[in-house]
Amino acid sequence: MTTALPIRLRDRALRSAWLHPFNDADAINDLLGSLNPRWSLTEVRAELVAREPQTADTVRLVLRPNRLWTGFVAGQHVTITVEIDGVRHQRVYSLSSDPADRRLLSITVKRQPQGRVSNWLHDHLHCGDVVTLSPAQGDFVLPQNHGPVLLLSAGSGITPMRALLYALRARGAGDVVLLHVCRDADDQIFASELAALASGWPGLRFVAWHTADRGRPALAELLATVPDHIERDTWLCGPAAFMADVEAHWQASGATERLRLERFGLAPTVIGSGDAAEVRCSRSERLFAAESGEALLPAAERAGLKPAYGCRIGVCRTCLCKKRSGTVQNLVTGERSSEPNEWIRLCVSSAQSEIELDL
Amino acid sequence: MSKTSSKTMTRPQLSRSDIASLQADLDAVRDEVMQSLGASDVAHIRRMIRRARGSAIAGRAMIGLGFDPLTFLVGVAALAHAKIVENMEVGHNVMHGQYDWTNDPALNSQTYEWDNVCDAGMWRHFHNYEHHTYTNILGKDRDFGYTILRMSDEQKWHPFFLFQPIWNGILAAAFQWGVGGHDIGAERLLNGQMSWKEFKQRSKPFHRKIRRQLMKDYVLFPLLTFWNAPRVLAANFLANLIRNLWSYAIIFCGHFPEGTAVFSEAETQDETRGDWYFRQICGSANIEGGRAFHILSGHLSHQIEHHLFPDMPAHRYAEIAPKVQAICAKYGIAYNTASFWRQYGTVLGKVFRHALPSRRANPALSQA
Ligand code: FES
Repeated sequence: MTTALPIRLRDRALRSAWLHPFNDADAINDLLGSLNPRWSLTEVRAELVAREPQTADTVRLVLRPNRLWTGFVAGQHVTITVEIDGVRHQRVYSLSSDPADRRLLSITVKRQPQGRVSNWLHDHLHCGDVVTLSPAQGDFVLPQNHGPVLLLSAGSGITPMRALLYALRARGAGDVVLLHVCRDADDQIFASELAALASGWPGLRFVAWHTADRGRPALAELLATVPDHIERDTWLCGPAAFMADVEAHWQASGATERLRLERFGLAPTVIGSGDAAEVRCSRSERLFAAESGEALLPAAERAGLKPAYGCRIGVCRTCLCKKRSGTVQNLVTGERSSEPNEWIRLCVSSAQSEIELDL
Repeated sequence: MSKTSSKTMTRPQLSRSDIASLQADLDAVRDEVMQSLGASDVAHIRRMIRRARGSAIAGRAMIGLGFDPLTFLVGVAALAHAKIVENMEVGHNVMHGQYDWTNDPALNSQTYEWDNVCDAGMWRHFHNYEHHTYTNILGKDRDFGYTILRMSDEQKWHPFFLFQPIWNGILAAAFQWGVGGHDIGAERLLNGQMSWKEFKQRSKPFHRKIRRQLMKDYVLFPLLTFWNAPRVLAANFLANLIRNLWSYAIIFCGHFPEGTAVFSEAETQDETRGDWYFRQICGSANIEGGRAFHILSGHLSHQIEHHLFPDMPAHRYAEIAPKVQAICAKYGIAYNTASFWRQYGTVLGKVFRHALPSRRANPALSQA
């Protein structure tokens, strides 16, 4: 992909040693931000313009991004950065708006029990507030050509489906089934939009399975509502166990190439003491095991990796490394943290779950 | 308030159990603050960043656009103030990782670059690692005397040190250059432990940073208001000089005043965190002053607290100082604090005294 000329010029100017200190991006962004919180030279900043409650614990947030937003393709997600009590947190949310709208975008947020960011977005993000977004990412998107479509979701897994539905309707797709599992009619996210979409679009069939009435469906029972499901190009999003079942079924039928998945970040499962956790290193593409209670630095070295280090006692930060995901414990303070994309010191951190490091 | 004035610091002998409970006491002080970090700490450092920027803009504008001596003087003062706040309260503290917990890339220890000729990467190595890990261990902490000054009886004398009052004066005026070149380890070139090639390789980041700094202060800004170029050159030079003298004076009061102890490599072999805490307290000295003074010193006036908790946001040191002092009193450890003039006076005294050969007070600490 080629980047637009103004962006390339901007990046060159920001890197140039000759222009320093006039090209200090942080200073410029602070200045722009103080004039208008949405303005920035380098970041997509978006203002909350509307909140639309969907269910008791789910809200759709409508955001107006600045001009650095380059739009998205239906099915993609964004990373949203918010600052809560001085700490920046990042979370990934599917884009649930109509991708044809370049001016507004929306994400749909369900409260997670103990979820720092989801609850903060529900309770503390007010209209007029500004958040930072990454460019849209992900390949849970529509191919050029496709056959009949099945969108299969459960719970808040429906959020990317809304964008996909808008894109499919714009293409004039003639045979689309949305099969969705949720508790009951009150728990149906996007209920009114879906009804409106279905009424004006004969090609869309909407099948809802309400567990409050019919119980948790056995997979065969659920899929029986769409008998030709295995022939359809399928997009799947929902809780991990549900997705695993569906994936296994498609695998058994030899139809995996017609199945596309969007996985949510999961709360990592904490290992017991004495167990070992798997550590994935995204840069070196290596994998090693670290015992619980053991610092990650020696564990990485045992596996033949050579992370930078100095004091090895947590003082100097030479071993600082970005942890992409997973739970770690600080061996000095005993503090645990599961925050994605945070900086940890390898010499005083131990893995408490499967983790991914930028190493 | 306990003040030490004996010529050589006597370090109390603490039992293993004392060291263990000293560790627990200090850990508790640390945890209480670290668990309370939040929006107000971030607001503080962002305020300091804005203060340094605003002051730099005002200073450079007065220097570049003014014609009279008054704007010259005020401009120099504003620019020196900007550089001091940026180097001491913002740069030094951010590069210690005091704000890494915020996850704000602008406050990240690994990517921050400050406004002086010392490359941030080199600084992090010799300061965060060597100096903060091996504080006051002779032969390991190259900050002790900066390899050109003899600041204790335990350092071996050499005729070179006869002139150290002069070296001291030069270092003070050119402090950023001394700090900038420190990590190269030129002394190893002189005694043949480093090849020219290695020396040149190690100097590269320093050269890059020098270019960038000289370009800014002595090319870009003078050219920008070219009709005033000589005035701008002179003012920028003066502002850098003032910052050098100030940071030199503050930093020399951190580990060299009378009463700060030195350690041998052997005795620090199997240190626990408690031993390490103990060494940090014995090797550091505080300067008394008000809030404005503390900020201008980057809170290095709370050197003891800084050395105990180098990654705690520095503006919190004043609040924990009474607790640390009480803990010191509990274990009979001297808490070295005094006015700037007293601390700096004893530093100067040492510069002169140790220029001359002296018997090593503690042969166990003798340094090769
Ligand atoms: S190696 Fe020094 S903090 Fe980890």
